[in-house]
Amino acid sequence: MAPPPSVSRPGTRLSRRLKATFWFFIPFVALAVVWIITVEMTGVAMRTFPQLNDVRDAIGDLWSTGDLFTHVGSSLRRVMIGAILAVITAVPFGILLGSNRWAAAFFSPLLRFSVALAGIAWIPLATLWLGYGERAVIFIVWNAMFFAITYNAMLGVQRIPTELWRAARSLGTPRWRMFGEVFLPGALPNVVTGLRVGLGYGWRGLVAAEVVATSSGLGYSIFQAQQFYRTDVIVAMMVIIGVLWLITDRALLAPLERRTVERWGMKAVTA
Amino acid sequence: MSTLEITNLHKEFVDVYTGETVTAVGDVSFGIEQGEFVSILGPSGCGKTTVLNIVAGFDTQTSGTVHVDGRAVDGPSPERGVVFQSFALFPWKTVLGNVIFGLRMRGVPRRERDVIAQQYLQLVGLEGFERKFPHELSGGMQQRLGVARVLANEPAVMLMDEPFASVDAQTRRKLQEELTGIFETKRPTVFFVTHDVDEAVFLADRVVVLSARPSRVSEIVTVPLERPRQWRAALDSAEFRHTVTYLTDLLAGDEPGVPADVDRA
Repeated sequence: MAPPPSVSRPGTRLSRRLKATFWFFIPFVALAVVWIITVEMTGVAMRTFPQLNDVRDAIGDLWSTGDLFTHVGSSLRRVMIGAILAVITAVPFGILLGSNRWAAAFFSPLLRFSVALAGIAWIPLATLWLGYGERAVIFIVWNAMFFAITYNAMLGVQRIPTELWRAARSLGTPRWRMFGEVFLPGALPNVVTGLRVGLGYGWRGLVAAEVVATSSGLGYSIFQAQQFYRTDVIVAMMVIIGVLWLITDRALLAPLERRTVERWGMKAVTA
Repeated sequence: MSTLEITNLHKEFVDVYTGETVTAVGDVSFGIEQGEFVSILGPSGCGKTTVLNIVAGFDTQTSGTVHVDGRAVDGPSPERGVVFQSFALFPWKTVLGNVIFGLRMRGVPRRERDVIAQQYLQLVGLEGFERKFPHELSGGMQQRLGVARVLANEPAVMLMDEPFASVDAQTRRKLQEELTGIFETKRPTVFFVTHDVDEAVFLADRVVVLSARPSRVSEIVTVPLERPRQWRAALDSAEFRHTVTYLTDLLAGDEPGVPADVDRA
């Protein structure tokens, strides 16, 4: 039997946690220090690059006026809807490709062709089809995520050992139940990877699409601020996008991974 | 009529790299009676796993027939459950989830399958581990789970493909003893592939010896050992040693260029 997980006192565990958090923030602190010193020494103008406290003030203003919540709210909503649509469409499609050699052979060239085009390059068509607004942005987020998730889901199914397919089939699993019983759980480590990569693409697509297609959201406010040389607001929005991404990754994807892939002892294999 | 009947099985495939046609299975015929334990013994690469894969329905033969209970084999089926060398447990299912998997696929009601699962978990000594995941078990326990998962389905024949090849030597002895115990209690029909002579003899009622490629049945040996069997007693018995020696010579004669009595010291 495998040795039981080493029993650690809560104190040591907490201190390990604190230590990890500490080391996570150190690079950001270093970056901030370099930032402050560089801007101070070069005396660069605000219209070119802001000082750290300008950005802090900009975030404070956005907070007190409530603009921050409006923009974050609409951006988050678009990312969420786009991501849900991407998962619903790309996971089954990727699993189909992974489990069917003919489908994989047929669609793989098209997928490869689309990699460079996914997301942003579709903005002009999206706005022509769906108009300037919510739907075009959501389309872009979906589009940006679709290929990463499809590709990783396909890879995930292809990585399932042949013996597991065979075991399932010889235990009486009908073909149509293989999807839910074997392919989906078996591909999950890679699906989570795809979701991680895809959400990154999704956020990028969102920012670009909001610049063009809407009058709210983080991307839109960055663009607005640029019109008035408000580099403090631009950088503030960039910081917020980065923080939102980190929160999504830590609060959503990491727990999903812990509850499934790690609990099952299946290590994720990064594409 | 035998439970499993293999007649003139022949398998060729085209080597992807050389483009040559290779004969994996030359001409194999034998049968397994109901409640009989038969070991299929042969040098590595002799095609014994190919025979198992065809019986399991994972692979198709070029010619010849395989019948189970009088029906020709056509694709994988729960009547021919497989215990794999790599265990092939579902990592996302608990121990219980793995055992009831086949029953669930066949639509057995929950209460009934839980009763059956308990019975087989007890049989392989895994009661109390229901909620663990496979990776939390040792190799030996994982393979016992593999056996329980197949037996819970009550297959016409249990196919075992070198099931103990990936556990350490001590555990292997123990598992072999446990398997004979399970066999003696439940009397399933077993098709057991191995290249280990001791293992083949210790477990089986009969040993089917396959020759090197292209494989044929070179001999079928009946094992003259009483049941229940235990390693200690088997090693002490002259019949066991004679059978092992006989089969070892038979296999050694089959590998030209590899004398059986090479002294590496």
